[in-house]
Amino acid sequence: MVEIAATETATATKPKNPARKVGLLNRALMVLLLTVVTIWLVVPFTMAVLWSLVDPKTGWEYPDLLPPSLTILRWVEVWTTTALPQAIANSYMLAPTVAVTTLILASPTAYCFARFDFPGKGFAQVLTLLPLVVPGFVLAIFFSSLIFSLGIYSRFLSILMAHCVLFLPYAIRIMTVSFGQVRQDLIDAARDLGARPIAVFRAAYMPALLPGILASLIIVFIQSIEEFAIAFIVGAPNFTTIPSILYSYLGYNFIRPNAAVVSLILVVPNVLLMLGLERLLKSANPAQAGGKG
Amino acid sequence: MNWRRTLLIIALLTPGLGVIVIMIGSVFYVAVMQSFGFYNLVGEESFSLEHWQKVLDSKQFSRALRYSAYIATVAAIGSVTLAYPIAIWLRRPFRGSLVISALLKAPLFVPGLVASFLFLNVIAFHGIVNQFMMWIGVTDAPIRLQNDRGAWGVVFLQLWKNMPFALLLLTGAVQSISDEVLDAARDLGAGSFARFRKIIAPLTVQAMQAALIIIFIGAAGDFAFQVTAGPTNVQSMAQYMVFLKDSFGRWNQAAVVGVSLMVLALCGSLVLAVLSRALLRSGNRW
Repeated sequence: MVEIAATETATATKPKNPARKVGLLNRALMVLLLTVVTIWLVVPFTMAVLWSLVDPKTGWEYPDLLPPSLTILRWVEVWTTTALPQAIANSYMLAPTVAVTTLILASPTAYCFARFDFPGKGFAQVLTLLPLVVPGFVLAIFFSSLIFSLGIYSRFLSILMAHCVLFLPYAIRIMTVSFGQVRQDLIDAARDLGARPIAVFRAAYMPALLPGILASLIIVFIQSIEEFAIAFIVGAPNFTTIPSILYSYLGYNFIRPNAAVVSLILVVPNVLLMLGLERLLKSANPAQAGGKG
Repeated sequence: MNWRRTLLIIALLTPGLGVIVIMIGSVFYVAVMQSFGFYNLVGEESFSLEHWQKVLDSKQFSRALRYSAYIATVAAIGSVTLAYPIAIWLRRPFRGSLVISALLKAPLFVPGLVASFLFLNVIAFHGIVNQFMMWIGVTDAPIRLQNDRGAWGVVFLQLWKNMPFALLLLTGAVQSISDEVLDAARDLGAGSFARFRKIIAPLTVQAMQAALIIIFIGAAGDFAFQVTAGPTNVQSMAQYMVFLKDSFGRWNQAAVVGVSLMVLALCGSLVLAVLSRALLRSGNRW
């Protein structure tokens, strides 16, 4: 890493080279960087996949560079003998609920930030970032203390509340940008043509808001699936989510193959969602720029 | 008309901003009050400085505080230092630059626990690092790299996870500097380091401060990396807080650690923000 950083400064600021030379240097740097990225992404993930496929009979120990035999036995075993199916069900029930609730809570505030000017608006916008600057475990522990004293005993409801607050900053930020992109002339035109509020919303607001709504839903969904501090502190031991199961295999008793299975179950769907999100945002832009929809 | 507008604005802000302020405010309130002996889950409630005294007197606390401050500072400064040259390199798009930037940002989407696990595999006895060291002859037998005492593992994980975040913020800021400004500086004879110090750094100082602050706070409150890959002879603040809560339910003492962690996060990020600005200013006087 340090090496790349050093070489890159050199290229980035080398002024008098002709364009071709810079192109060549960039290509060389790219090869170097791709190698490093392979080492820091491809190798670790390949090892995780291999570990999840290790045959319990033969194991994978020093000095074997690769596991001697592969099997999907671990996947079957983790699936049938641990609380993983329940944890997956919990996580995938919690995350969409959090995503939708957060969007509903965030939208009025975002609308206000985007379409109104009022004294103290800058300060109010900074205040929305509060959940991001409180350390996660402090929030988790004293939130759990708070809900005990309020007499709320539903773990699902408690985690739902905490996740909504924690991820509101993302949803508010995304939706503020989206509401800001709604064009006033389209709203006026729809009104002048006698459209009712619902029709105005569908014609003028919806096309501009849709990418933001989807982006907010996906980002909050991913964050909620991955969140560990609150799910662990508030949910333990009755309500398990995928990260808390993973922690149980990494913490007190370290079971590498099981941790590999759970890691992959946690990461792969989210990476696919992220890729979908990128595509979605790209494809949404042209229609919006043209004001069609 | 005016008061109706005010009411409308308040009504619109309540479900989003209102919920945030009430919830975070209450959590903060509970933590502070608990540290002074109130809001006890069991037992009597009364004002007391005993919990503060007990925690502040313990060696474990001062070690945890120093350790978390150290990890957070190294993570924040290290990530920004690594991200700057890459952001400058990626300032103007070239063939493949989008792929590079996407790959570099990938760790942003890997949860902390998974990152820890991937790292533990790479440094395991038969992991690639040990195999490589034996292949080049540095060592004859694999070395135990997990939970190293110098916390290099935790620092590496922090940089792996946070450098992409710094890169994300800095790329945007660096890209918004116009070519004319940089060309003008070049024509006036500014070398590459002078251009960085006098133009790029001052124009991107806000993004740099944001990256420093957010990374510092995140790393100061780290639990996942420390528990899985960190040294076993010292605890991080979050780990110590969870430990106090879990062992004999010492909630009040956990609250003292929690409040101290918030103070550390606040002071540390303020110091970094002020220092980065001051350094730039003194640099420009040369």
